[in-house]
Amino acid sequence: MADISDILASVSHPASPPSTTDLHALTRAYTAERCAPDLLPYPSALMIRTLSRIRQQISTVEDLSASADSGTKSGFKLIVLQTELERWKWLVRGLLRARIAKIDRYPLHILQNQEADLSGEESEYLRAHQALLERHYGGSFLGAFPAALRRLDDTAGGISMVDGPDTDGAVFVRVLRDVGRVVQQSGDEGMEMKKGDVWVVRWSSVKELVARGDVELV
Amino acid sequence: MYGELGNKLVQHAKRTQTLAHLPPYQTEMVRAVTREVRELDRDVQQILEPFQGSFDPSQDPATATALLVDHLCMRRNKRCLLAYHRTRTEKLEEMCWNGIDVLEQQQQGIKAGADAQGQLAGGDSASSSSLSPEEEEYVRQYSDMLAAYKGQWTDIDLTGSLEPPRDLFIDVRVLKDAGEIQTEYGAITLTKNSQFYVRHGDVERLIAQGYLQRLS
Repeated sequence: MADISDILASVSHPASPPSTTDLHALTRAYTAERCAPDLLPYPSALMIRTLSRIRQQISTVEDLSASADSGTKSGFKLIVLQTELERWKWLVRGLLRARIAKIDRYPLHILQNQEADLSGEESEYLRAHQALLERHYGGSFLGAFPAALRRLDDTAGGISMVDGPDTDGAVFVRVLRDVGRVVQQSGDEGMEMKKGDVWVVRWSSVKELVARGDVELV
Repeated sequence: MYGELGNKLVQHAKRTQTLAHLPPYQTEMVRAVTREVRELDRDVQQILEPFQGSFDPSQDPATATALLVDHLCMRRNKRCLLAYHRTRTEKLEEMCWNGIDVLEQQQQGIKAGADAQGQLAGGDSASSSSLSPEEEEYVRQYSDMLAAYKGQWTDIDLTGSLEPPRDLFIDVRVLKDAGEIQTEYGAITLTKNSQFYVRHGDVERLIAQGYLQRLS
């Protein structure tokens, strides 16, 4: 799936410099990840740009503080730069932590259905973590169980052991482009989503629209 | 009664969620529930034995019901055990993320407990740890894994605060001697009861570990 955050950003901020666009995109990715019940695709292009920008900014700060002989002007500039840097870092941290929280919560569901949405590092983490958990359960009690009951992804008896996110949970969305009528369940009237509207809707009914960038989570 | 112990385990897990520390691992109860599962399994095999693998539930509803109850009890026990262990591992993971050294804390807890009891210092110290050996192993491996994952994001401290940053510099008071730290404005020696105006990012770890207190 294409990196949608860029498209999202370009919709409402058509004429801003790339760094501002990226900041908006990152903020949006952070908000979306925090609000959506599902794990969203990893914004890899955006993350690469963000990380290289942060690295660049860190070295700028280092250069400045090395050359600055505590003049008030450069000192002030330094503080502004560092404050800004801390904010970027916080956004990235928040985004990654929100993802990790979801990965920890629905490990098997994500392994089975959504592995493409993970970054390489996340997928490594998930696999290692799951292996650890399985060994822990095995060592603690599952090893003494009858062989037929040792699985962790059993679906016998009509109940699946694999827990997934509640895709019918309610989310707040802002409409960025007119999308017409959206029907939540077959049978209801649906609602007319116009640009600028804010709606409370089921996640499953707007998931596609969010991926396309027609609506954003708030 | 079948399932009763499983229920107790779940109650333990529920209580653990709201506690700040980890209560002792219920080794006996876990073992008893596991034993119950094995007994149920044996029961099932005994019931099925005379049928030689050609059991038809509609022919003999009474036996079918007995089997169903056995099966449900086994699965329920398994769920209870999984829930209990998962709750505890989640707690341990949270501690790892918060930078608390769980194992060291355990050691200290044992020592303190042993000192308080006086005579028990030598022999029985292992049983006073609230982690099972498996859990200790799990913590060790999880923190290694976390360090490996964190190491890939060198510029961003993943375990840092999730509060949005407001001020670049903050006032802190030193609660415990923490030695000397290096900042870009030179070295600062943190001695107890002194007060500093420092960069937030430099001392965040120390605040989390309880060496410093933030003054607002």
